[in-house]
Amino acid sequence: MSILPDIPILSFILLSPLLGLLVILFLPKHSGNLLKTAAVIATLIPLALSLWLYADYDKQQSGAVYEEQLDWVEVPLNKELHSDVSAFTFKLQYELGVDGLSLPLLLLTGLVTAMAALGAFHVKKRWKAFFVWFLLLEFAMLGVFLARDVFLFFVFFELTLVAMYFLIGIWGFYNRERAANQFLIYNGLGSAIMLIAFVILVNTAGFRVEQIGEQVQYVYSGSYADIIRNMTDAGAMVNQPAVNEMGALNPFVMSDTMHRTLFIMLLVAFGIKLPIFPFHTWMLKVHAEAPPAVVMIHSGILLKMGAYGLLRFGLLLFPEQAKSWAAVLAVLGVINILYGAVLAFRQMELRLVLAYSSMSHMGIVLLGLAAFNEIGLQGAIFQLVSHGLISALLFLIVGSLYERTGTTELTELGGLARSLPFTSGALLAAGLASLGLPGLSGFVGELLALLGLFESMRWLAAIAVLGVILTAVYVLRSVLKITFGPLPDKYAALKDARLIEAVPMIVLLAFIVLLGCYPSLLTDTVQYSIGDVFAQLLATRAGG
Amino acid sequence: MEIYTKAAWIIPLLPLAAFLLLTALGRSYRRAGVLIGTAGALAAFLLSLLVLIGRLGETAVDYSKAFDWITIGDYTLRIGFEVTNLTSMMLVVVTLVSLLVNIYSAGYMKSDERITVFYGYVSLFTFSMLGLVLSDNLLSLYIFWELVGVCSFLLVGFWYARPAAKAAAKKAFIVTRIGDAGLLVAILLLFWYMPDHRLEFTMIQSVFDGPSGAITTELSTLIALLIFLGAVGKSGQFPLHVWLPDAMEGPTPISALIHAATMVAAGVFLIARTYDIFLDSAAAMQTVAYIGGFTAIFAATIALAQNDIKRILAYSTVSQLGYMMMALGLGSLTGGIFHLFTHAFFKALLFLGAGSIIHAVHTQNIQEMGGLGSKMRVTAWTFGIGALALSGIPPLSGFWSKDLILSVALQENKLLFIVGVAAAFCTALYMARLFFLVFMGKPRSSLGGAHESPSVMTIPLMVLAALAVVAGFVETPWNGALGSWLSGGIAEEAHSSGIAIIASIAVGVLGIYLGWLIYVKGSVSRSIVSDKAPWLVMLLERKYFIDECYERILVKPLKGLGTLLMALDSYVIGGAVRLVSAAADSAGKAAVRLQNGQVQTYGIAALLGLVVIVLAIVGRRFWS
Repeated sequence: MSILPDIPILSFILLSPLLGLLVILFLPKHSGNLLKTAAVIATLIPLALSLWLYADYDKQQSGAVYEEQLDWVEVPLNKELHSDVSAFTFKLQYELGVDGLSLPLLLLTGLVTAMAALGAFHVKKRWKAFFVWFLLLEFAMLGVFLARDVFLFFVFFELTLVAMYFLIGIWGFYNRERAANQFLIYNGLGSAIMLIAFVILVNTAGFRVEQIGEQVQYVYSGSYADIIRNMTDAGAMVNQPAVNEMGALNPFVMSDTMHRTLFIMLLVAFGIKLPIFPFHTWMLKVHAEAPPAVVMIHSGILLKMGAYGLLRFGLLLFPEQAKSWAAVLAVLGVINILYGAVLAFRQMELRLVLAYSSMSHMGIVLLGLAAFNEIGLQGAIFQLVSHGLISALLFLIVGSLYERTGTTELTELGGLARSLPFTSGALLAAGLASLGLPGLSGFVGELLALLGLFESMRWLAAIAVLGVILTAVYVLRSVLKITFGPLPDKYAALKDARLIEAVPMIVLLAFIVLLGCYPSLLTDTVQYSIGDVFAQLLATRAGG
Repeated sequence: MEIYTKAAWIIPLLPLAAFLLLTALGRSYRRAGVLIGTAGALAAFLLSLLVLIGRLGETAVDYSKAFDWITIGDYTLRIGFEVTNLTSMMLVVVTLVSLLVNIYSAGYMKSDERITVFYGYVSLFTFSMLGLVLSDNLLSLYIFWELVGVCSFLLVGFWYARPAAKAAAKKAFIVTRIGDAGLLVAILLLFWYMPDHRLEFTMIQSVFDGPSGAITTELSTLIALLIFLGAVGKSGQFPLHVWLPDAMEGPTPISALIHAATMVAAGVFLIARTYDIFLDSAAAMQTVAYIGGFTAIFAATIALAQNDIKRILAYSTVSQLGYMMMALGLGSLTGGIFHLFTHAFFKALLFLGAGSIIHAVHTQNIQEMGGLGSKMRVTAWTFGIGALALSGIPPLSGFWSKDLILSVALQENKLLFIVGVAAAFCTALYMARLFFLVFMGKPRSSLGGAHESPSVMTIPLMVLAALAVVAGFVETPWNGALGSWLSGGIAEEAHSSGIAIIASIAVGVLGIYLGWLIYVKGSVSRSIVSDKAPWLVMLLERKYFIDECYERILVKPLKGLGTLLMALDSYVIGGAVRLVSAAADSAGKAAVRLQNGQVQTYGIAALLGLVVIVLAIVGRRFWS
């Protein structure tokens, strides 16, 4: 019997970065080492807690969901409009929960953030402010994966934007301010669309009638549980006809057109984040301008929020629409894969190669979602976690390379395997993981997504396999350019990775190997917990 | 003896343990590194030998065991191992060659500062290759298939500072990946069409062998051709052969182990494992036979005009793999596997001999060698045995296996028989040229004090030379032991025919004689062809311009496409983003101007807002 449900473990995880933030606020701003140590320790707490949660969760294998709930905002509405009602409120909740979909991403967040904190050695100015924003960012990301109320989710989603805005704008490279502005505006646009969609959802599917004894309450609820229950319950108001037999209007009805529109809005809102072609260009600037430790988080976790949102709100709330749009998703996925790969092949700047590579790899997630079967969805989730680890590792190495050589231009680099054997070896391993070498995690996500898609869309899956070849082409091109070949004299005296750099590299690589060799560690957790959600999706598929 | 078969899964783990230990130890333990790597290979070899001996009886039953790797709902992906007579034979071949290469490298790589890394990679390769051989299903075979590919890549690029090694490693990986993609699609197809989504070879056999109902012939053809695409990439068949000659940039022991005896034969092994799919489709069989036959003659002619000793042997490997493919395509599983078996020994021997020569004279150009026979007696003798075996001179091993293939060809397809005989002639000629130019005559450049290699290198040569002599006797025209053992007691009908034997011996002897006339006696001018048809020599020297074709057809267009898309990305799509951001900016500025303190402006704004709200409310009726 687990002791965890007795304590608010989810709130502990969510709030622990804030604790570190408080400590940092009271530390002197010039003692860099002290600040760094405090920040690293602060990130280790949520990591340890989420590891514990993950281990505990797996043992149960029952699909039980950890949940915590508190009333957050309650706005009374005019109950006088309705004669028989004791209360009529608009209710937002502090509602947290994890299931097999969010738990792996929660753990990923803890892991990548801790590694990024270790890897933030390149920050040379204003440490205190950096780590304050950094921990705030972690708080927001954990919140995104924990939140079970649409508005709470939205607030955390926005908070990541704010934190990122300052992290890019202050600690980035030469064009940092432009990059930060563009990032904020473009993502803000996506968020606006998301907010509209959420408001519509709360006002239709969020409507709930509560019967407590004789008293009846009307509630507009932002709770995800309420919304998904109403969306799938044929008897709920949202699924009733617009005019009932008595001739009364039903203001909560959601027509087919509205279903479709909401799905498309969510697809665009989260598609910008993912990013789906052609919404990807904002992220190139972030990859190129943000400091490497921040890109580790951006590429490792923030992009995953897009896929998570699309799955959680797009596919699970609108399964029928998602099903009829599956072919579109698959085509977009194939475009992402091939377009990203061809462009990665032509970049001369390592960070841009990796940016397009991220785009290409997120295409595989789209394929998995489009497959609309268990294997494909598992593949999508696996790919999210796997790519999170791999891209975090890659940008950790980028940080180490940049610190030593002062450049990430491919034309400037070469032969580093001689002076930096460890770092080069890690780069090669990360590259091999990225191109889907079996035994490393990238292969499993790719295999499952393709396997899933192959059931329904054979030709698209076969075309997507071309990506497997192109990925090898661009990965080897840049990795070998940097590490192989003759060593230029100017790099002859470089020193290999210090312990503080090597530790996060080894940890990330260990997780990549672990998942590659023993994927059940992840797939089983996902399977036991959201098997019923899959069943529901599949029922839609069979019935629809 | 059953117990060894059941314990076969331990075999790959031994070199894996060596690899992990070597990686953990780091570079400083040079001698220990050599010992650990060799010990891993030796232990694996001994255990493999026990497995093989246990299976030599008539009653050996196949044994397999698997565990669930990923389970998703009703679908399960498994990883497992299976011991059959074919796999036990391959186990011994792989571990034996690996062991000999480990020993040999102690001398050859002695002065290399990264010798521990080298041994680590070799151990990792041995593990992967054994895993490939033991796999009981197509997915786990694919996993190891990719791993041997990456080991090959690492070892080809072992001397990473050389630009040529870097290019060759990249090319090896990418070209074989093209084939791998085909194999992957074949696996995806099989997964969805096989009953219960099973990918085990035994299941494949029972599904395709039995009265096929579930899988149509068209589908069999498609799957077989996709699997063959994988084999074409790995086994260097035309048109994906281009990586194999370049892979000679790797250290020579690697060329012997990976690019002659084991990994490049994996394509042949793969087809043998999934042979029932091929047997189900006549079209696929024909494709395999013709591609194989064409590759055999195509590569043999290129080998005639090369001057780099390793490249000649590499093209020879391509050509011999073509023979194996041809045999499989003509329906002779025994022929393909038999030639794989004999070829592994004599080609490993030839490569290690070439390594011994390169070690002594520090050049790979045979035009700069000469007269080495008297200085390097062991190398010369063993190399000569390997060359005769390759040329198909009885009673050496290569004769028996090549004869079997030619006999089958004579029966099944006259055209391919002629191709095979012609390729055999070229083989004898290029080997004679190579041997005479290297070992006979006078040195054509200052070769310093070329001397025999240390015994740690010559002993493996002698072992392999002995095997190159005797390995052929497992299957002779009057004794179909190998064939009946492989097929579990059902002897294939003896194919041997007098015509094939005579033709095969005749062209072998003729080729060597012609080589002797040209390169030793000098009675036929060396420039006889280049005088009359210089274009022909150029065509061969430039390898039929295949690399140039790829450059034009694939590489340049891909780069062009990339440039085009880059322009699209930064001007069209990036432009749209800038537009959005500029629009937001100017909207903000407009809003600032709107807030001018004049009540009339505010009133208009409020009115407009009201109109929008009313329109929205009214519009919703029509919309929904």
